[in-house]
Amino acid sequence: MSMNPISSQDGSVWCRWCENADKSPDSVAIVHWRAGSPPRRWTRGELVRASELFATALRSSGIIKGDVCAIIARHNPLLYPLYLGCVCAGAIPAILAYPNPRLHPEKFRNGLQGMSQRSGLDWILTERALEAVLQPLIGKSTIKGLKFPLEDDKALTATPGPPPVTQCCGTDPLLLQHSSGTTGLQKPVLLSHRAVLEHVTEYGKLLGVSQEDKVASWLPLYHDMGLIATFHLPLTLGVPTILIDPFEWVLAPSLLLEVISGEQATLTWLPNFALSMMADKIHEDDLQGIALDSCRMIINCSEPVRHRDQEKFYRRFARRGLKREALSSCYAMAEMTFAVTQTPPGREPTTLAIDAQRFSRGVARPAADVTVGKICVSSGGLLPGCHIRIVDDEGNDVEDGRVGEIWIKSASMFDGYRNYPEKTAAALRDGWYLSGDLGFSIGDEYFIVGRKKDLVIVAGNNIYPEDIEMVMNDLPGVIPGRVVAFGEEDPELGSERLSVIAETPLTDEAERRQLRTAIVEAGMGIDVSIAKVYLVPPRFLVKSSAGKPSRSANKERAIRLKEEGAAMLAGA
Amino acid sequence: MISPELKQVILSALKLNDCELNDATAAYEVPGWDSLSHVNVVLAVEQHYGVRFKSVEVIRMKNVGDLQRLVDSKLAGQH
Repeated sequence: MSMNPISSQDGSVWCRWCENADKSPDSVAIVHWRAGSPPRRWTRGELVRASELFATALRSSGIIKGDVCAIIARHNPLLYPLYLGCVCAGAIPAILAYPNPRLHPEKFRNGLQGMSQRSGLDWILTERALEAVLQPLIGKSTIKGLKFPLEDDKALTATPGPPPVTQCCGTDPLLLQHSSGTTGLQKPVLLSHRAVLEHVTEYGKLLGVSQEDKVASWLPLYHDMGLIATFHLPLTLGVPTILIDPFEWVLAPSLLLEVISGEQATLTWLPNFALSMMADKIHEDDLQGIALDSCRMIINCSEPVRHRDQEKFYRRFARRGLKREALSSCYAMAEMTFAVTQTPPGREPTTLAIDAQRFSRGVARPAADVTVGKICVSSGGLLPGCHIRIVDDEGNDVEDGRVGEIWIKSASMFDGYRNYPEKTAAALRDGWYLSGDLGFSIGDEYFIVGRKKDLVIVAGNNIYPEDIEMVMNDLPGVIPGRVVAFGEEDPELGSERLSVIAETPLTDEAERRQLRTAIVEAGMGIDVSIAKVYLVPPRFLVKSSAGKPSRSANKERAIRLKEEGAAMLAGA
Repeated sequence: MISPELKQVILSALKLNDCELNDATAAYEVPGWDSLSHVNVVLAVEQHYGVRFKSVEVIRMKNVGDLQRLVDSKLAGQH
């Protein structure tokens, strides 16, 4: 089979995809999965051919090398060749989340406008359903135009001609992914062909990926775990990946098990809450005929790994063939392309029962009495090319078993947030990335135990409290500037949920009920679910030394008073 | 038409005192009914009526009216 490599220089991701297609054009690259419909199986050859057609159409529509193309689309079998087509054309794809219906259209548009200033979005490739919402952005942002390639069948029915020749090399930017924050406040991370190729190659070696492997995933591709681990890694290493609609999975979590069983998948990545949810919420009827013995690694990542949820998951599915050694964990972030540490295949993560009292003082030492200890789960050892320092508040290295902030350096590290010098300056020091995560090391293994920053991680999504507080401040009935948002552990969910404390002068119970609903609805307007609302009287909130309400102190106070049944917090 | 019984099951699952629910109400319009709590609502409805929904049935429901019709058809199938 003759593939025409569009990138004329070696070292590009596109070249690798073409090489894989040349080697075995009829092997399956991507299985697009929809509940209740036959799956769409893209072979490597078909995928490259369709990508070339999309590249030709994109180039003839005015997109040039280096243009950033935001892709906003629902689960669609043509999404993959479109993404690859952008790369083939030398453009930089950036997959963004499709707006949840609860997100107010104006908020969505304003968010994209803000994002375009940072990320330098040039084009939006989307669905006609979003045309009216997005059209006003043209001329008011960096965005030059909207395109609807998924609904325009001209691209794929065109007579194949010579694809556009794009000079592309390893140091050229490949993709843009976003780290943390609500739309508009997300930090853009630009990754080169070389960074992604080297990263997935090294990560694949550590995972022992072979031609026998198959990835199964429901993860959204706008998330680094979805994009790098379950899309780029298998495509680059030449193993199939089966992609489920994230919206369908969350409604029917048994779908992932159905896919693993039916397709004999071997690898999957999940945030911690997903393990908890599948262990608790899947009905026994949905497990009839399910066999999980093909699965060699279930990698828990993107949220703190909780021991009870790993155990719960294993106990629930062991009789379906799940092997204990398939449980695995990883520590990753978009700024490093993806993984920093990973537990080795064939061995469940090390756990450590530590003395809870000493742990509260930042010392992780084995507990004499494990019944009162806290169980920490290892996220494994470093990937080749990665380095970690664990430091105290002054930036001095701490010894093994001492909790400190994790600083990271890696071969596949980002250069800085795109067009965001102030965030870059705050995140990088002497070539180290200051993660804001807290952890400790024992020998060669790393344990991630919390956050130094006030970031809240809800079901794998990072949320900054200030984004929530900003919206709540504008609500009638809330005293401006007197709101704090924070995360509260939800053991049932296996993740955190968002809570809000708001000072209000309202005393009438009906008005207070309305205000609670208004706070929840304001959260819905920015696609954030507020699980608990604490309404408190004026001057309740404790200020930090900086003069702002302290999130940690007020969180502790509100929870304590609620547990004590304080009348003013009734109904929270 | 949403039965008061189904409405009460939904409100209890979402820990809401009250909320306007009609045939056309979609989950995203109801405070607290997000993708993570959806599975709890479905389980509460299944448990209350002693019925079981298939994954595809859950995925295809677009609004509360669809949920009511699904419950009704399951209950009719039991008799």
